[in-house]
Amino acid sequence: MFIELHNISRTFGTTQALIDVNLRLDIGRIGLLGPNGAGKSTLMKILLGLLPPSAGSGRVLDHELADAPVALRRAIGYMSEADALIPGMQGADYVALAGELYGMSRKQALRRAHEVLTYLDLGEARYRKLEEYSTGMKQRLKLAQALVHDPPALLLDEPTSGMDPAGREAMLDLLRRLGTEHQKAILLSTHLLGDIDKVCDIVVILHQGRILCQGPVQQLCQSRHDRYHLQIQGEPNGFLDELRLEGVKVLHDNGQGAYRVQVPASWTTQAFFKLAQMHHVVIRGLQADNEDLEELFHRVIAENPPQAPG
Amino acid sequence: MPTLLHYRRWQGTFHNAWWSVWPITRVALGSLLTRKLFWLLYGFGLLLFLMFFFGTFLLAWAESQLAVTQQQLGRFGDPGRMIMGIRRALNILNGSRETYQYFFSYQGGIVVVTLSLAGALLVGNDFTYRSLGFYLAKPISRWHYIAGKMLAVFLVVQMMTTLPALGLYAQHAFDDWDYLWNVDYFIERGHKGPAGIPLLAAVIAYGTLLSAFLSVLLAATASWMRRTMPLILVWMSTFFFMRLLANMLVDGLHYDARWRLIDLWSNLTLIGQGLLGFASDEITPKPHPEFWEAALMLTGVCTVCLIYLNRRTQAVEIVR
Repeated sequence: MFIELHNISRTFGTTQALIDVNLRLDIGRIGLLGPNGAGKSTLMKILLGLLPPSAGSGRVLDHELADAPVALRRAIGYMSEADALIPGMQGADYVALAGELYGMSRKQALRRAHEVLTYLDLGEARYRKLEEYSTGMKQRLKLAQALVHDPPALLLDEPTSGMDPAGREAMLDLLRRLGTEHQKAILLSTHLLGDIDKVCDIVVILHQGRILCQGPVQQLCQSRHDRYHLQIQGEPNGFLDELRLEGVKVLHDNGQGAYRVQVPASWTTQAFFKLAQMHHVVIRGLQADNEDLEELFHRVIAENPPQAPG
Repeated sequence: MPTLLHYRRWQGTFHNAWWSVWPITRVALGSLLTRKLFWLLYGFGLLLFLMFFFGTFLLAWAESQLAVTQQQLGRFGDPGRMIMGIRRALNILNGSRETYQYFFSYQGGIVVVTLSLAGALLVGNDFTYRSLGFYLAKPISRWHYIAGKMLAVFLVVQMMTTLPALGLYAQHAFDDWDYLWNVDYFIERGHKGPAGIPLLAAVIAYGTLLSAFLSVLLAATASWMRRTMPLILVWMSTFFFMRLLANMLVDGLHYDARWRLIDLWSNLTLIGQGLLGFASDEITPKPHPEFWEAALMLTGVCTVCLIYLNRRTQAVEIVR
């Protein structure tokens, strides 16, 4: 079991940052999604053993949150959003220092630093000073210091922040492979839905300190059957007006007879054919359409509007 | 990037978190020892050491020369007074407790200047560049981090005070082995104070006192001020203006001697002189507070600094 949380709450003064969070996540690639102020950072701090919960209990990789914060952090590689670099140091020394701080001997840490930097394609830059690294290289370096002690789990905070598209793709590919090929448990906190889409197979949506939704991405996105891809032939205007009158929303129109629509709850697929017949339109294609992650996220947030404090 | 090379697993044992203290110290020292300005200041300190080291020989030679060349020197002043002056200087340079008292006192000035310049590099930059998050996200507590940084400052101060003082001690011991083994070495020669191992222990204790106190003070003030200029202002106020104020209050306005407690350097030298075996009435400046009062003051300052450091490192957002 990667993460197991029971009724975790965290209060700062009168503000409740986390409210009765229950999570049970197996080893896998998990995305943590939530708008600003949702409680993601507080949850990450609790998972790293940096902040004790106000109430509740939990375990990360079989380490009790309350009892063993140091042992817990040894089992985790944490990649922060902030640069957190030490000016004047060389890349290899920086990663080796991380290894020593995790408890490795100097010799082992240096050897491992070189291995990890080579793996992350920073072999050429290992003797450069950290100030000379580009943003993409800094992100890889931060991943290297999280990987140096070969932890079973990685906690990644905005790992693609500030990267160019090619670098971002490569980083996401790398993270996915670390999860699939090397069985690393990954918790990825980001506001970039595309990152979670590409790397994670499980998503946790957090809003106002509560878990709104958790589960496999595909399963959550397939759970709705109110969207269709519709392809028609003929004059569409009358048909579309009629659909709108019936409460159907046209989400996308490609201008060539293909539409993405959202139907009301009482809708049946037969209704499409009836209206098409009335307006002399031929339906050439009709298939249920899954919700994508972005839609899922916005829907879940919209269904849980902000609550007044107290 | 990545044509990915194969990822190799690592299997090994991890040391206890206290093993992480030394890497933190080593990195801090490394950043300081690569600066030319540090070696320039260290060079000044070394000059002072050389003055004490060779001064003994120079003055002994001068005294011997005075006896045979009194006629010629008579033109420049009273030869008798010159000999007395040289003998007084020899008392300071003869390896007695006065030698170390003066040495630590002079060297302390250079140490204070060096630390005020190096504080940002040793500690402040971790807050400025958020490197502290890098340390504290690892399996160590904030006290391991604080211990690592304080150990770095401690070693710098030791390098500038205790180490050369031990060099002076070794010089005198090599000159006369009796200095090392005979506790009454100076008493037998009509002077005061201990020699031998007690003096050696006192020298180490004095250096350790300076190093320990200054390391706590620097870690706290550098985490507060972060940048070099504000840090210099704080240290100058602490060690220069507070000294002026204390002297003005006690010597000028004849306030109670306890007002000297606001001068931290005076407290350090008071305890240091105590460690070197000076009796209360031999200690300068006069009047002065009691030893225990100075020790209490320094302990209080250290406690406040450690409480501040604890809060300061707690306030750092590792996850934002």
